[in-house]
Amino acid sequence: MRMTSTLLAALGVVALTTAAGAQVVDPNLMSYKPVSGVSGSLKSIGSDTLNNLMALWAEGFKAQYPSVKIEIEGKGSSTAPPALINGTAHFGPMSRPMKGAEIDEFEKKFGYKPSAIRGAVDALAVFVHKDNPIKCLSLQQVDAIFSKTRKGGGDKTMATWGEVGLTGEWADKPISLYGRNSASGTYGYFKEVALFNGDYKDSVKEQPGSSAVVQGVASDKFAIGYSGVGYKTADVRTVPLSAKAGTACFDATADNAYAGDYPISRFLYIYVNVNPNQSLDPVRAEFIKYVYSKPGQEAVVKDGYFPVTAKIAETDLKAKKLTN
Amino acid sequence: MTAELTNPTAADAASRTARSKRRTATDFAAEGEPFVWALGGALAIGILMIVGFLFLVMWNGVVTFFPKTIAVVTAGNGDVFAGEPVRSEQYRPTAEALAALQPTARAKIATADGFAGRTLYRVGNYDLYGEDFRWVADHDVRRVEYPAGLMLVERLEWGPFIGTIKAVTTGGGAARPAAEIGTAAIDAAHATARERWERIHRIERGDIGAVNHWLDKERLRLRKVELADGIDSAGYRTAERRFAEREAVLKQDYDRLAAEAAALRAEDAKDTITFADIGGKEKTIALSAVVRMYAANDLGLAAKLGVYFSRWWEFLADVPREANTEGGVFPAIFGTFVMTLLLVIAVTPFGVITALYLREYAKQGRLVSIVRISVNNLAGVPSIVYGVFGLGFFAYIVGGTIDQLFYAERLPSPTFGSGGLLWSSLTLALLTVPVVIVATEEALAAVPRSMREGSFACGASKWQTIRYVVLPRAMPGIMTGVILAMARGAGEVAPLMLVGVVKLAPELPIDGFFPYIHLERSFMHLGFHIYDVGFQSRNSEAGKPMVFVTTMLLIALIAVMNASAIIVRNRLKRRFMGSQF
Repeated sequence: MRMTSTLLAALGVVALTTAAGAQVVDPNLMSYKPVSGVSGSLKSIGSDTLNNLMALWAEGFKAQYPSVKIEIEGKGSSTAPPALINGTAHFGPMSRPMKGAEIDEFEKKFGYKPSAIRGAVDALAVFVHKDNPIKCLSLQQVDAIFSKTRKGGGDKTMATWGEVGLTGEWADKPISLYGRNSASGTYGYFKEVALFNGDYKDSVKEQPGSSAVVQGVASDKFAIGYSGVGYKTADVRTVPLSAKAGTACFDATADNAYAGDYPISRFLYIYVNVNPNQSLDPVRAEFIKYVYSKPGQEAVVKDGYFPVTAKIAETDLKAKKLTN
Repeated sequence: MTAELTNPTAADAASRTARSKRRTATDFAAEGEPFVWALGGALAIGILMIVGFLFLVMWNGVVTFFPKTIAVVTAGNGDVFAGEPVRSEQYRPTAEALAALQPTARAKIATADGFAGRTLYRVGNYDLYGEDFRWVADHDVRRVEYPAGLMLVERLEWGPFIGTIKAVTTGGGAARPAAEIGTAAIDAAHATARERWERIHRIERGDIGAVNHWLDKERLRLRKVELADGIDSAGYRTAERRFAEREAVLKQDYDRLAAEAAALRAEDAKDTITFADIGGKEKTIALSAVVRMYAANDLGLAAKLGVYFSRWWEFLADVPREANTEGGVFPAIFGTFVMTLLLVIAVTPFGVITALYLREYAKQGRLVSIVRISVNNLAGVPSIVYGVFGLGFFAYIVGGTIDQLFYAERLPSPTFGSGGLLWSSLTLALLTVPVVIVATEEALAAVPRSMREGSFACGASKWQTIRYVVLPRAMPGIMTGVILAMARGAGEVAPLMLVGVVKLAPELPIDGFFPYIHLERSFMHLGFHIYDVGFQSRNSEAGKPMVFVTTMLLIALIAVMNASAIIVRNRLKRRFMGSQF
């Protein structure tokens, strides 16, 4: 996580929001020009956080290349590595980086590492009901709320809103926890970063989708839950987070994510099997170029995530030898 | 107790009264009165729950597509926004929020026990402001108006736009203000642009798709020769020449069609429309990217119904857009229907033959009862287990073998080696086969012994008896089993997620290319669509009504399929009745 944040900051990302609050993509991103001779079929298996985004990219890509067939399946990030290894999918979208064991297994079969495309930036948001007056939470508090092992260093578990500092009718109300199921990359990432690799409490209600978490929080006044910021609705609000108790809190906005201030921002990845000794076939190459293009990143905004900058796009395209 | 039955002594009378009282109590229980009430009550609760559920789904589903009015809200701080009111609720403002309020508003909330009202508006214009919905507290509203001329615009991308038409450009000319052109002319231009867009789609999806299909076929044929004869053989060289020829011809077709599409697209780009939202912010999009637009507050009932039915038509007949949250669900309807049909085709003979053997031929002993118990237990296995079995056995083992034997030229991309329509149908057939077996056995058992004996007495063999006497008589019962299996199968989602249902399937499982039915393709399913829109879509608020509409549709589809099966069954019954003595 720290790595992601510092990386984002190091890339010197500029704030890209208009006054009204709508996200705008980096004007330096290339617009997409279709090339000839692209056809075939693509299959994507992986993250459900990226499910909608993949579908939007697929729709945009199909508008450029009507004859390309794209099939999308999203049951969780953990389904991506086996699909790539078995060759059942061309793309493996994941909402967390691949684990060492997964990379090893891939390498054992192909002799090289899978390539990661950083398609979008996501601030993993902690949602509460829209009437919840909570101002700020530190990661230690989040850990004490969600975790039973409290590796973040909290001395006691936090079970009621009063223990987090709320008063009035909130003081004695128990915190109702919503989270993702364990196949999800969001689950894994939150566990790693916000729970400091601790274990979730048994009382976390595991939901089958990010949207379900938001709906759960929306219908339960005393709830708290986590999922991608893209799933925010008018019924919930995001809680500003601070990395350490006592330091400043930052809300889950694009600027804070880019600057590395928001403590749990992450990249959303698409993994591809790219043989470094061969050129990538045109369909996959063009799809990757499309993802990094202006319309591709507009789709990211449409899905509620934050677009990557021209600099990231350029670095990644160069790494895959895809710049012309 | 009446006087003539009373005995002279008082004690006796008392004991009699007690006994008679006891007797009436036992009579009451013996008549089964309480049980009748209990049974009736249980039935009533059951019916109430079903009706309540159907009503909930219908109520939420039916109104979804009805056009709503657009309110223009002026907030206390002077902010103005426009949106469709979605729902209102009561809430308790926090102390801080209360402190910031005007004294009059505070007093009003205090008289209402500290509760205030608020309303959720669908404000649209996601591309401009980054939010689709907005809550507004009632005490924060200065004014609500419903002005004429405010449009709701459904677009291909970014969801709805709420605002007014500012200007329209046609044929690449200068932009002309909307007032100058007039609504009728705008509508006409829109219709032309949409028609052209449809044409572009037909060329790109249909014609160019066909060219690509043939090109793919040729490529696979070449690869097949390569695999069979090796790359240095004479056969491969001939095949390569043939491929080059065919490729050149197809390439020509492709270029011609692509040029045609490009010309249409260039023309399409010349027609644009500029909208302005309530704050004056402008947005220009292609005229063909507008799916539908209407002046929400000016519509009469007839016009509203027009929009309503046009939305329904789009929903039923179109393909999904925007990651399945908009557009239609036609591929899902089609997928559900075809899968259920295949399921019936697979499960009926399998179940009926098994039941026939168990009931008519097998020696009724311990083994048969073990088999029967196992079949009944099969019905209790969680459906996801069937999904895992289907994936492991059908897709990976059977499908993988088929791929290696018959589709080697397509490897490493799997043909039958991953989830698909066929494997889904077979998995669900396995899941529902116990229902058919049990129903068929019951139906066979219900055929009177006298009929079989009569048949034997006429000299018919066992098979002839089964074929001409027993089976026709049992047919309605068998059909009942099939109907139950169908209803169970069509509503099942969990195992399908493993064996072939996807969020976005590029092609329908049936199309115009040989062999017309593509059993290996993955498909979309209404049940999974509900799960996807309900739990996965970015905007769950906008997704909620779609969940109800899709649920309604799934229920309707199952009801229609069941009804047709029931009609067939009743026909069979009638035919059978007619042939009685």
